[in-house]
Amino acid sequence: MAALLQILSYGVFSGALYGLVALGLSLVFGVMNYLNVAHGALIMLASYTVLWTCYYLRFDPFLSLILVVPVFFVIGWVLFLGLFQRLLALPETEKLKNSLLISFGILLICSNGATMLWTADERAVATSYTGKVIDLLGVRLPYIGLATVLLAIIVVLGVHLFLTRTYFGKAIRGVSQDYEAASWMGINTRRVCLASFAIGVALAGFPGVVIALQTFNPIVSFDLTNKALIVLILAGVGSLRGVLFGGLLLGVVEAASVFFVGVAYREVVGLLLFVLVLMFRPQGLGGRKA
Amino acid sequence: MIIAPLLVRSEYLLNLLILVCLYATLSHSWNILGGYCGQISLGHATFFGAGALTFRYLWLGGVSYYLALPAGALASLILASAIGFPSFKMKGHYFSIGTLALAMIALITVQNLLPGVSFITEACLKEYSLLTIYYLAFGVGVLTVVAVYALSRSKLGLALVSVREDEDAAEAIGINTFKYKVVAMSISTVIAGFAGGIFAFYCGTYYHYAPFELGWSFDPLLIAFIGGAGTVVGPVVGAVVFVLLKELFAASLGQVNVLIFGIVFIITVLFLPKGLVGIAGIIRKPKKTSAVAQER
Repeated sequence: MAALLQILSYGVFSGALYGLVALGLSLVFGVMNYLNVAHGALIMLASYTVLWTCYYLRFDPFLSLILVVPVFFVIGWVLFLGLFQRLLALPETEKLKNSLLISFGILLICSNGATMLWTADERAVATSYTGKVIDLLGVRLPYIGLATVLLAIIVVLGVHLFLTRTYFGKAIRGVSQDYEAASWMGINTRRVCLASFAIGVALAGFPGVVIALQTFNPIVSFDLTNKALIVLILAGVGSLRGVLFGGLLLGVVEAASVFFVGVAYREVVGLLLFVLVLMFRPQGLGGRKA
Repeated sequence: MIIAPLLVRSEYLLNLLILVCLYATLSHSWNILGGYCGQISLGHATFFGAGALTFRYLWLGGVSYYLALPAGALASLILASAIGFPSFKMKGHYFSIGTLALAMIALITVQNLLPGVSFITEACLKEYSLLTIYYLAFGVGVLTVVAVYALSRSKLGLALVSVREDEDAAEAIGINTFKYKVVAMSISTVIAGFAGGIFAFYCGTYYHYAPFELGWSFDPLLIAFIGGAGTVVGPVVGAVVFVLLKELFAASLGQVNVLIFGIVFIITVLFLPKGLVGIAGIIRKPKKTSAVAQER
């Protein structure tokens, strides 16, 4: 029983991470229908940025967020102006296809560029609290895992409040609901798209920190994109509140499959769940019908 | 091309030609489904791998290669009817990411079940000759190009293009879109199976899961888009460019090779939606092309 609880707790920790991973992707997809598969690569780059900030500036990984998040906001800004802006005028399906292809190219460039610059070695940020655990009724809870859950809740709540309580957040939601109608209401849709793309990329910084605390290498970007897509579909397209629950579901299902099926097929169970949901409930488990 | 090996007598060049044929075949396989029918598959490695796996087993088991090759293609078709056709329940981009998920499932499963390396046995080594492989790869490549050319000129090809352009409209004018998608996928996977067989014939020693690697899903897509998706010549041009760039850069620059390809890919998607083949059209009648571009 304790073993099962232990495994499930790890499921919750990785699930919170998956939720964070999918958040930026989900925001961008919800607002402008761009499937940014480069999101995993951006998270990987964020992890390296965290690594170098901790290494050179002796920052705590979580403190390095004050640097990483703005940097990635700017990167998102530049990416949008340089590449993704051109797609705004395209019809819906073309937009999706082209954004998928372009971001796929970015994914290739980033993961190979990172391998070139920093080799494919496994890296991690070591802190004073790495590997420390709290013992709770025989279940060992690592500090980093608990911090991940806390971070995920804060970030998702923050994004939620930003979208529902601020004027600009409401504009973003308006554009995501109906692009044309929003522009008739006097919303500068191009600027909203630019800002939400930049915010989406900036959100890559948060999972970047958590990944940096575990081991990572440039190839992890494919895995992260994959996880983000699974969570995106589980949560329901464009549902930001669902992202945390989708991530937790995936994490717990994967953890449970380690317990029941074996660690070799952990990924397969998650992917199968993904394919089944895609086939029978493409609007997502909690999503509204399209 | 047929007498090329007699003229050059260089094993290096022969290797390049085999690779060009292999990549052209594989990207044409992708092109039928992705370029003509508009179903962008990110999981072609599954069918490529199934062909390679079957070919290796039969060939090493004593079956001659000209029987093992179609058997590999058949295995790939069977796999497609098991997992490929149901995946059409996913539409548009869902199909792309769904097939990617399927390819990853296949890769992980093969990695777990067959972790070892596949060797050529001594008996089979006698059959191994670059010249045979070249003619086989060339033959399959030519047949594929001819098949795609015939397809592009046929009613079937038109139906596929109509599914690509607007699935709902095609359905509305009485085209059974599901049927045509299944037909496109069948042809596509059979060709991918052939390509996989040639890979298994050509590569002496490799990990069993090597042909299932995701690169075999991504490369045909890159090649087809750079050359020109939905055209007969495009994937061939793309394959030549791909193999040449790889040869030029892989030795001197290593990893940069994929980097350069990624950049070329993005530029193509943004500025040359019709690929390298499209350049010819732009040069010939610049006014008409720009008018069409504005309309879209």
